[in-house]
Amino acid sequence: MARTSSPARLVIALSVAAVLAVFLVYTSLAGNARPSVSPSELAGKTGEVSLAGKVVGTPTGDPHGAGMRFVLRDIEGAKKQQVTVLYKGSVPDLFRTGRDVVVTGAQHADGTFVTTPGSMITKCPSKYQAADSNA
Amino acid sequence: MAELGRAALLVTLGLSGYALVAGGAAAWLGRRRLAESARNALFASFLSTLVAAAVLVAAFVRDDFSFAYVAGHSSRALPLQYKLSAFWGGQEGSLLLWLLVLTGYSALAVWFARKRARDLVVWVTPVLGGIAVGFTWLLVAVSSPFDTAAAPADGAGLNPSLQNPYMVAHPVFLYLGYVGLAVPFAFAMGALLSGRTDERWIVATRRWTLIAWTALGIGQLLGAHWAYVEVGWGGYYAWDPVENAALMPWLAATAFLHSVMIQEKRGMLRVWNVALVSLAFCLSLFGTFLTRSGVVSSIHSFTQSPIGPWFLGFIVVAVVFATVMIWLRLPQLRTTARLESLVSREASFLYNNLLLVALCLTILWGTAWPIVSEAVRGEAVVVGRPYYDFFLRIFGLPLLLLMGIGPLVAWRRASLRGLGRVFAWPAAIAVATGVVLILLGAGSSIPGLIAYTFSAFVLATIALEFARGTAARRALTGEPAVTAFGRLVGRNRRRYGGYVVHASIVLLAIGIAGSSAYDSVVEGRLSRGESLAVGGYTLTYRQLTERDGPNATEIRALLDVRRGDKSLGTISAGKNAYSVEQQVSNEVGIRSDLLTGEDLFVIAEQVDDNGTVFFRVFVKPLVNLIWFAGFVFVLGALITLWPDAREERRLATRYAPAVERADPQTTT
Repeated sequence: MARTSSPARLVIALSVAAVLAVFLVYTSLAGNARPSVSPSELAGKTGEVSLAGKVVGTPTGDPHGAGMRFVLRDIEGAKKQQVTVLYKGSVPDLFRTGRDVVVTGAQHADGTFVTTPGSMITKCPSKYQAADSNA
Repeated sequence: MAELGRAALLVTLGLSGYALVAGGAAAWLGRRRLAESARNALFASFLSTLVAAAVLVAAFVRDDFSFAYVAGHSSRALPLQYKLSAFWGGQEGSLLLWLLVLTGYSALAVWFARKRARDLVVWVTPVLGGIAVGFTWLLVAVSSPFDTAAAPADGAGLNPSLQNPYMVAHPVFLYLGYVGLAVPFAFAMGALLSGRTDERWIVATRRWTLIAWTALGIGQLLGAHWAYVEVGWGGYYAWDPVENAALMPWLAATAFLHSVMIQEKRGMLRVWNVALVSLAFCLSLFGTFLTRSGVVSSIHSFTQSPIGPWFLGFIVVAVVFATVMIWLRLPQLRTTARLESLVSREASFLYNNLLLVALCLTILWGTAWPIVSEAVRGEAVVVGRPYYDFFLRIFGLPLLLLMGIGPLVAWRRASLRGLGRVFAWPAAIAVATGVVLILLGAGSSIPGLIAYTFSAFVLATIALEFARGTAARRALTGEPAVTAFGRLVGRNRRRYGGYVVHASIVLLAIGIAGSSAYDSVVEGRLSRGESLAVGGYTLTYRQLTERDGPNATEIRALLDVRRGDKSLGTISAGKNAYSVEQQVSNEVGIRSDLLTGEDLFVIAEQVDDNGTVFFRVFVKPLVNLIWFAGFVFVLGALITLWPDAREERRLATRYAPAVERADPQTTT
């Protein structure tokens, strides 16, 4: 017993259409997602990406001066590729050797990954319980 | 001791399994005695879960590190209150808290509804039992807090960022909210299963939904305040998947709270309501899944995580069950009334619902897309802050406006001329506010300006409502203004409590707009004696101190604060170095101006060996309104929740015939 004359249906249909339209326009204009890659997947990627990796070695330099340099490798797997990251801006409390971090930026011709200032996020062990911290 | 905990959980599994199987059989076959025993099993499962929880609490208090969970989340030096909150510092304990809250809610909700909605309760019991079975199974077979190992000399300690009062309270409130949504969900499913699809399940669960919704709201504000004062990056909400996990069910529950009023008053939107409550409950499951499965950091860690796949299965079962039930009962859910006009209370509630659900689903999309993309396309992506901010403005600002319009539009059919009369004053006040703000320079942010203008509109309508109501009551009864005001609110708790909640949301919007659209930030490296100026303040770095606290070394930089020629005292910011956990945490300095609601927020980002410090300083106007809104929110929620004897009597007479004919028999 469909009552096609009900204004509720019309309102819902129009609203859904409007929402979809806004959504499509937005995603096509702004692009809603950045690729997220690991150090071994970075090769060949141009433009801005999120780089997630594990900090190895000792960070050097001043993040609030010329920039801090540190090396990232893949969080999982046996791949050996490492990327040197040049980072400026706030360093989260949880950042240190052995931690997993995410930075946003792009790889330059010399192979250094130059980040957007202040873009570092540490993968917080209290919030996301990953498999290895279940012990 | 661990054996006792494991045994108690097994008993819970047995009891909730009985509530599911025997309760289902009793409801199907119409066996009253069997239904009562299933109900009692549900009550008893709360007690056995309580025993299991007590065992774990005792283990934390006694530093019994033979419990692997205790060894992993506590240490001897940890202060007692954090030993207690370490209960929910990890996955296993969090699940146990989930189960404890679930069985507690189940017992109470079924107890209170056992007389008035007996025919529903026989079907609600197996649904609640089924949910409990799922969680108990996880705790018994997959992720047990009672695993034992050789006891280490000391525990690994609790993550320092969890060592503060917020993290004692925040998870409890969140879980009271998440899990509380199981009650209206179970009653909705009970109504569908029993075929009694009138509004009784809504009446029976109104308070439970409100309690869950309020707790979820408080939990999120506590989390936001924690992020603000403890995490120390200068904000309170980052559209992090874990934060979204709590926001989505809250938005769905907000939509539900509004749309059920239409079903209560007009008998409309029945399908929509059961769908919404199912959405809210499934989102709360999804939220627990997100925070507990490791799926957010990577889909790879999800496949290694032991509880992830179980949880996903659990969500699928809930979604399929709810969908099938709604589908089967579609003919009975057909509404008799219909929307008469696009300008009416019903219609404005409908718009409010569509906006809330649209906002909720776009957040869901942003949260789930990275996971889906990695699983389907093999390419991981990150959805950034601009995406969420865009949709918050697109859907949030019209919602803000509707909050002022909706409550004043007449039911059924409103005349445009009448609307003009009602809204003339609020609209004039809003426009005046907008003009004044532009003159003051608030035009620098268009969304901020719109938010303020709409906020002024809504606050004006709310104030006018209170004034009109009080005046009408005075004219009628001749009471003095204060008495009339008190009785007006007391006699119409739902309505005026709702207005108070609306006012709190407006305050929240003002606080968010002020602190995000009109804030300023300055950073720089200072030696002793050097100064930095931001937003009218001048800060001078004076000295650096170091002190050994109970479980951390505390380094603090002391700064003088001046505004013009006036000294405003000192502010200190620094870092704590936790010895057991080998971790450093920022301790920010905040100076709140309670008159203007503005915060001066100082982060000592980096302390160098020579004593220079790199500071980052924010000035955040009106940010304190966000926390103030929390108190108003609780006040409003309490007004709507407060027991109302007259309403109880009214409901008792209204549903008396239903009780007479109530029996567990059902037709399927």
